[in-house]
Amino acid sequence: MPIELIKLIPWIPLLGAVLCAVCCMKPAWRKAAGPISVLSIFIPFLITCGVYSAASGLQGDDKVQTIYQWMSVGGFSVNMGYFIDPLTMIMLFVVTGIGSLIATYAMGYMKGERGYARFFMGVSLFIFAMTTLVMADNLVLLYLGWEGVGLCSYLLIGYYYEKPEAVAAAKKAFIVNRIGDLGFALGIFLTYMTYDTVSLSVVTSKAVAFLSDPNYIATSADLWIPFLLMLGAFGKSAQIPLYVWLPDAMAGPTPVSALVHAATMVTAGVYMIARLIPVFQLSPYALPTVATIGGITALFAGTIALCQYDLKKVFAYSTVSQLGYMFLGVGALSSFGGIFHLFTHAFFKALLFLTAGSVMHALAGQLDLRAMSGLRKKMPVTCWLMFAGCLALAGFPFTAGFFSKDTILAEAMVRGTGEHGSNLYFFLALMGLLTALLTAFYTFRLWFRVFMGPEHFEMGDDHGHSDDDAHGDDHSHAHEPHEMPWWPMNIPLVVLAFGAIFAGMIVHWTGWMEHSIETSTAQPAIALNIQTDPQPTPAYEIITVSNTTDTHDTATEHPAAATGHSAEHDRAHGIHILMMWISSFIALLGIGLAAYFHWLNRPLTDKVAAKFGMVVEVLYNKYYIDEFYDLVIVKPLRTLGHGFYRFDQAVIHGLVITVGYIPRLAGWSIQPTQSGKMQGYGLGMVLGVAIAALLVFKWAF
Amino acid sequence: MDLLLILLTVFPLVSALPLMLPIKAFDSRKTVWSYALLSTLVSLLFSLIVLYKFDFTNTGAMQLATSLSWVDAFGLNFGFGIDSISLWLVLLTTFLMPIIILSSLTAIKTRVREFYFWLIVLETFMIGTFVATDILFFYVCFELTLVPLYILIGVFGSDKRKRVEAAKIFFLYTFTGSMLTFAGVMYVAWFNTMLPTHLFAAAGTWSFDIQTLYLAAANMSLTEQSWVLGALLAGFAVKVPLFPVHTWLPLAHTEAPTAGSVILAGVLLKLGTYGLLRFALPMCPQAVVEYAWLIGIFAVLGVLVTALICWVQTDVKKLIAYSSVSHLGFCVLGLFALDADNTGAVGAVMYMINHGLSTGALFLCIGMIYERFHTREMADMSGLGRAIPAWASFTVFFVLASVGLPGLNGFIGEFLTLLGAFLSPANVLGYEYAAIAGLGMILAAIYLLYMVGKIIFGPLKVPDVHNDDGTHDLKDLNTREIATLLPLAAACLILGMLPNGMLNSLQAPVEQLTYSAKAVATQANDTFVTDANATPLRLAIDDHTPEFAPGIAPQLTDPTHAPLTKTAHRAAER
Repeated sequence: MPIELIKLIPWIPLLGAVLCAVCCMKPAWRKAAGPISVLSIFIPFLITCGVYSAASGLQGDDKVQTIYQWMSVGGFSVNMGYFIDPLTMIMLFVVTGIGSLIATYAMGYMKGERGYARFFMGVSLFIFAMTTLVMADNLVLLYLGWEGVGLCSYLLIGYYYEKPEAVAAAKKAFIVNRIGDLGFALGIFLTYMTYDTVSLSVVTSKAVAFLSDPNYIATSADLWIPFLLMLGAFGKSAQIPLYVWLPDAMAGPTPVSALVHAATMVTAGVYMIARLIPVFQLSPYALPTVATIGGITALFAGTIALCQYDLKKVFAYSTVSQLGYMFLGVGALSSFGGIFHLFTHAFFKALLFLTAGSVMHALAGQLDLRAMSGLRKKMPVTCWLMFAGCLALAGFPFTAGFFSKDTILAEAMVRGTGEHGSNLYFFLALMGLLTALLTAFYTFRLWFRVFMGPEHFEMGDDHGHSDDDAHGDDHSHAHEPHEMPWWPMNIPLVVLAFGAIFAGMIVHWTGWMEHSIETSTAQPAIALNIQTDPQPTPAYEIITVSNTTDTHDTATEHPAAATGHSAEHDRAHGIHILMMWISSFIALLGIGLAAYFHWLNRPLTDKVAAKFGMVVEVLYNKYYIDEFYDLVIVKPLRTLGHGFYRFDQAVIHGLVITVGYIPRLAGWSIQPTQSGKMQGYGLGMVLGVAIAALLVFKWAF
Repeated sequence: MDLLLILLTVFPLVSALPLMLPIKAFDSRKTVWSYALLSTLVSLLFSLIVLYKFDFTNTGAMQLATSLSWVDAFGLNFGFGIDSISLWLVLLTTFLMPIIILSSLTAIKTRVREFYFWLIVLETFMIGTFVATDILFFYVCFELTLVPLYILIGVFGSDKRKRVEAAKIFFLYTFTGSMLTFAGVMYVAWFNTMLPTHLFAAAGTWSFDIQTLYLAAANMSLTEQSWVLGALLAGFAVKVPLFPVHTWLPLAHTEAPTAGSVILAGVLLKLGTYGLLRFALPMCPQAVVEYAWLIGIFAVLGVLVTALICWVQTDVKKLIAYSSVSHLGFCVLGLFALDADNTGAVGAVMYMINHGLSTGALFLCIGMIYERFHTREMADMSGLGRAIPAWASFTVFFVLASVGLPGLNGFIGEFLTLLGAFLSPANVLGYEYAAIAGLGMILAAIYLLYMVGKIIFGPLKVPDVHNDDGTHDLKDLNTREIATLLPLAAACLILGMLPNGMLNSLQAPVEQLTYSAKAVATQANDTFVTDANATPLRLAIDDHTPEFAPGIAPQLTDPTHAPLTKTAHRAAER
């Protein structure tokens, strides 16, 4: 397949979105929107597969595929162009592949909805923005995708726009993201100021050059750029302190939660940092900060997930937590670990959300864990599909999540131990292990609660499907949970489940992704803390400078470095093996505890919960962070707005009106017979002009 | 002599006259409306011919220039000419006019003839301000725009009691300001007559040619420039409107009929920023550099304060009116950025066009709601997305353009103005301005989405106008209304995705207008570093020495700035 086709990838979903918008216009056309949208995502997936080998082999300037110049002023030039390297291809696989599966599922899930076409318009538009984001050759185009996905997220969260909480959640998501986006925009400005370009390929290669120059002294811009960009990443990827929008975003339809708020959009921040990792390396504090925020968020969100009763909220906090892992990964200089976890997480979290959606669908909108139990008989397929997803999320040995999580934790441990190990990374790795325990526990808490134990359920009050033509003849569904149809709903889930179990093994054993990352700009240009060179030159050592020659060549050229390498490599390998054992044990421990407390001995759990009532209350209310933000930011701003408005009306405008009366009074005093306002003002003006002119003359001469 | 620009300018005025003659056919509302629509469409056609004839290889030159003498003894002319800045603004005007008339069919039912008469007359003056190459001609048109709008607000406004008051405040507020502007302009013209004749062609004589006055103004001392800048700002800042002289705008907007609001937001506010760019920057470069920080602070304050004010509005139209103040703060910030590549100023011109399109469109959308419900209170309506989906889709689209979503037009201007402010030399503005004004991006999202959340989303609630549960008014957009909004939506999308043609064409003229101010900025920076006491830029008027060469007007000798000199010579030949 010719490589040029790759330029079409974002535009096909855009066309799909336009067609779906046309479908909105007539009720009879609505049904066409689903298939159109699925096709508009699946064709790009086929193109991605077709050009994969050609795209991975691109060298140098060929990696940049430009369509046209978007905007330029003087030296500032932005192209509508794509940067194709292996990292782009990985992201495209995730976005279009998982996207097609979720869209297919949504065809069934959204059936009979009034806004069916509107929903698919949003989905297609989202894929346009997301593919643009991951393919962008420059920061401004990336920003277009970045804001575009934010918009689609806004529209899709607000899909049920008659529900006030959905509207509030949509607004919150957009605004919180905008806070991050301001940081991102300022980061772009500063990048342009420093590098004289916004092109990703040039910026990263320049940053690599700076890093490899032993005499280079980092400027204050180098220190600031990563922190500004980071703010954007934390907004989009829901990290502390900007994570608050993601749990609320669950007000959107479940396929949206799966696609936008689990598999793709929220990982954009991880992608951006991985893509620009050399720029982040220029600031010695940037990546440790990313890792710290990631580690803390992972643990923090994990604790909240323990005590949530809303099915989707549990998964939402779990997503925040898993994103924290990814940031820990890139922060530990393992962009491979971060992207690997991003990849596997897309599978299992999409699967978990969609199976949760099936449960919700079957129970007429019921999401409360307390209102359901023992559903395995009613929904056997969903039960075991979700089981696969839960295993992967919990990090059960040899599932996808196991390998990717292990890579991150092991890499953090490698940074945290050894000769140049930093305590920070050591603690972060321990926090990661603790989070892994929590993850396994809350994941299986949910699964055991929903599918095991005595059968019991309360139907929700969602009768949104009253005009549902698919179930029109089947009135029982409103009273009894039922299994989802194989097509179009369960078959995509089976594919996802396959990925959730095997994707990790495939990546781990073939080394495909590791090699891809090494040959992309996401490869860290330096290996921090590995000082192997005997010469007292740089404290950093170059591994790869964005070309295909890998470490082996370096090793043959520098024997001294090679020995250091292999010693280091052995140590890292040892840590990896050790971490695998530890995390397997932790996963099994978590699952075991969950089984005991939430399946075998539920009364005991209630007693324990009652004993720690305060803690449970605080966790259930998410540490009252929303209330805190409302009190400290929203309310004062609003008060300020009212104050300014009053000031504007009374003082500023009042002053002007008063000034306006002065000439009128003057006019009266001179010519009492003429009292028209016009004349007064006119006189005032003439006087004013005369005085001003006099003043000018006086000053000038 | 090229008559095209004269035709373009005068045609609306001439075509409006029959509306005031006792012609029977014009008793029918529909006929008057069709006639007005036709007239503005012909104007649009003329402007398209101008676009076609415009030479895009030389966008900085005043093209299609022509001149009619007015008062020879006083050097007064009606000078016509168009560079790409004027061209795009003229096109904005002629593009918006038919749309406005299309939208007014059902809104205006009484005194129809007068309404369309004044609307079309207004078009002449608006075009006149943009094509004038003679400062007095510019000024006359600038002032005369007030009269039609005064009548449009005062007679056709929404609330009988308040509209007269609003019109009066609007008129007097802007008129007072522009009187001072007039004083400033007259001072520059007088200053020119006092210059020794050997300096440049028209020195020492009465002339109101803009290019001549640039050359004259270059010889003014910093003090004089500061006063002239102050005088220009008095008129233009009120027009923009720059915080804190903005309070007339929300009043005028709320009371004006939809057509008036669209024209006001779409074109008339741009007269202020256009004036700043065309006159303040090239005429008072030293003063601009000296006081940019102050103007910048007011612009940033305006962005933030009025954005917060927007958030607590209950009247939709007032919200959009205040948002104009907030948005134009970005525009002013870009104008005074003076960064090396003119990112800020080019972005500001983009911003003028884009704001005209998206905010104009938002006023149209609100007008359609007002026509249906006779209320604009957000508390009275909710969930309109379900009731009138086409209207809701358009409104959301224009809100997104206004918020500055990349891919739509608003983003280009916002991004470039902020980038310009960020890159601005430290002695002019600086990154702090961009960082703080950037908060306006967040606030814009807050107040506009707040509005969308209130009126388009949420449970359906329709104001009960006719005591029939509101069902009477629940008609979605008709074909005419869609035809009103669709061109605007298309323009927003095209300018968002393909802004480059416009951006490229703007670089040459903007470079000419900012050249001297930028030179002062860099020179002042250097001077500051080398010798704090050196004042090589300040030339006193009574310093009649041969070194009296314009110190900061390198355009005179710089061959790359030939168009400027050429026009100056042309002015002299006349």
